[in-house]
Amino acid sequence: MSLPSKQQGLELKTLAVENARRSEAGDALTPLRGDSLNALEAAVFPDRKTEQWKYTSLHPLTDGHLRTAADGALPEPLPNLAAHRLVMSNGRLQENLSQLPEGVTLHRRAGQRDELLTPFALYNGAALTDAITLEVAANTEVSAPLHLLLHAASDTPAHCQTRVEVLLNPGSKLTLIEHYIGQGPVLNNAVTVIEARDNASLTHYRLQSEREDTLHISTLLFRQTGVSRIDSYQLMGGNRLRRNDVRALLEKSGAELNMQGVFVARGQSHIDNQLCVEHRVPHCTSNQVFKGLAGEKGKAILNGRIHIHEGAMGTLAELSNKNLLLSPGAEIYTKPELEIYNDDVKCAHGATVGQLDAAQQFYLQSRGIALAEAKRMLSLGFVNELILALPDESVARWVQPWLAGELSQYPGANEEAA
Amino acid sequence: MLEIRDLHAAVNGKAILKGLDLTVNPGEVHAIMGPNGSGKSTLANVLAGRDNYEITGGQAILDGHDLAELEPEERAQAGLFLAFQYPVEIPGVSNMEFLKAALEAVRKAQGKEEWDSVTLLRKAREACKQVNLDAQFLKRGVNEGFSGGEKKRNEIMQMLLMEPRLALLDETDSGLDIDALQTVARGVNSLRSPERGIVLVTHYQRLLDYIVPDHVHVLSDGRIIKSGGKELALELEQKGYGWLTGEEESA
Ligand SMILES: Nc1ncnc2c1ncn2[C@@H]1O[C@H](COP(=O)(O)OP(=O)(O)OP(=O)(O)O)[C@@H](O)[C@H]1O
Ligand SMILES: [Mg+2]
Repeated sequence: MSLPSKQQGLELKTLAVENARRSEAGDALTPLRGDSLNALEAAVFPDRKTEQWKYTSLHPLTDGHLRTAADGALPEPLPNLAAHRLVMSNGRLQENLSQLPEGVTLHRRAGQRDELLTPFALYNGAALTDAITLEVAANTEVSAPLHLLLHAASDTPAHCQTRVEVLLNPGSKLTLIEHYIGQGPVLNNAVTVIEARDNASLTHYRLQSEREDTLHISTLLFRQTGVSRIDSYQLMGGNRLRRNDVRALLEKSGAELNMQGVFVARGQSHIDNQLCVEHRVPHCTSNQVFKGLAGEKGKAILNGRIHIHEGAMGTLAELSNKNLLLSPGAEIYTKPELEIYNDDVKCAHGATVGQLDAAQQFYLQSRGIALAEAKRMLSLGFVNELILALPDESVARWVQPWLAGELSQYPGANEEAA
Repeated sequence: MLEIRDLHAAVNGKAILKGLDLTVNPGEVHAIMGPNGSGKSTLANVLAGRDNYEITGGQAILDGHDLAELEPEERAQAGLFLAFQYPVEIPGVSNMEFLKAALEAVRKAQGKEEWDSVTLLRKAREACKQVNLDAQFLKRGVNEGFSGGEKKRNEIMQMLLMEPRLALLDETDSGLDIDALQTVARGVNSLRSPERGIVLVTHYQRLLDYIVPDHVHVLSDGRIIKSGGKELALELEQKGYGWLTGEEESA
């Protein structure tokens, strides 16, 4: 039975506070936990009347007894996308499975509180069991990509908090693969904060390939406090609930941010992306290209906010979101949202939702290709330009079979009317 | 091999084919000519199984298969190939990937041995060469940004690889330059064989100088109103269609 949504918010907040109290321990995370708990107690959890949550119900999160997850069983073999890998399981660093590349140091702490104001980010801070902060030394180019494997698993309903902070010191360079995997009725409530200082450069991948019975809520915060460049590639598969709040703050003139993403919501999946790029100072560039697919009863949302502050002259900001509905029962909602407080800006945005082209389907069929395969090929064709643009070969190799799986005919799908 | 009897068909509910008869035997080349809008492409699309092209009466049988009962892909697997009048562009799906999927499906259904990727690439390059298409076209999106003539040559390239039992070419000659016309004609002629039937839809006698047909038919208002040998095409070139349809010849 589903509760009225207002009550869900309250119930979730009570749970979050209880979980947070249980996680108290005297360690390096204590100050952050305390601060976050205070703020959490004053926070209002969203309900359906909250504009940014109007498509996403909290109901799946309050389902059952939501203890902090114990250690979950890691899959065998563990995915391995780079020479160096760090593993966190249910929010805890697995030291025996982790190696650091040269030039990167790791601390078991987290300190970022500013700009992390959503109830879920506060809940993460208040209920932390562990956290890592990675620091790339100044003027250091980390040659091989770093694979950050973030695992969450439980057989019974549970929550876990994953916390990662990354600092790129001036003149440093890093390729980071932030990779979420997991299975079971577990909510991974994750917070990732990445700060880039002057002349730093980051290639960032965000791969979300948990099994479909999982839940994922995450806050990703980019802070470009220096003249820096971030290229972020975000690939999202479907699960019971996926909510990504991505916020990028361009805080120093000359900073450049590129974000590209693909999301695929098949079956009963639900993917909600809330993007917010803030141009706080003059002469920064942001470019966002996202493509989405939804099939069967899948539902996908993208809200792309671009906020150009007063005085941020010479801003270049672009956002494109094209989507494809694969079945009549699927839903996609996309909305660019511009807040521009000065005249000297170039800002372009476009959002579309279309369907598979009947003439293209027929052309493929007329060459002997079965309809389901034709649909798969056209879906892949729709996102292919973004996939081909992935700069790292190891990721591209991983993506091919993952995407093929996401786009193949959905097992439970009834034959749809054309 | 292809037996069309009293075929009636409607497009989006509008009757277009109104009792069409045509028999193609193995080894034969047939040309179908006729005024714009007479139903030539409709016939091709009905045979290939396009959505909204509905058979409302009669039959089309290919090697014992009632085409109306087959999905479009099954018709292709049964050996039917349609070179489209207006090939569609499919950005994001490379020509090579497309050929691989098509040939895998068709060859498997026909019990032919599978081509490994090396063989496939070699065959595809050969086919490109045969129609004077640079092998770079294999890497591009299907028909994406191809010129009109390149699209037509891409259709023939596919046909060469698919080795169909019955090839239907809908105005493949339109929009081709003089050299390309000869290239395409050579490609089609290379497929002529005692086991294969070919149906050419064309407006121009010139193509038939290069691909000499066994039979020429005139399609008008959804019916074949006259059939003859290759000399019929010459006669049509001189006289137009007016003397057959009883209407004034249109410029
Ligand atoms: N989708 C459609 N809806 C309605 N009428 C259609 C549709 N498609 C074709 N028709 C009509 O069917 C008739 C036959 O068209 P068809 O394309 O078969 O002619 P054609 O003989 O191939 O002509 P052309 O020589 O110009 O290629 C035309 O009058 C055309 O307008
Ligand atoms: Mg036509």
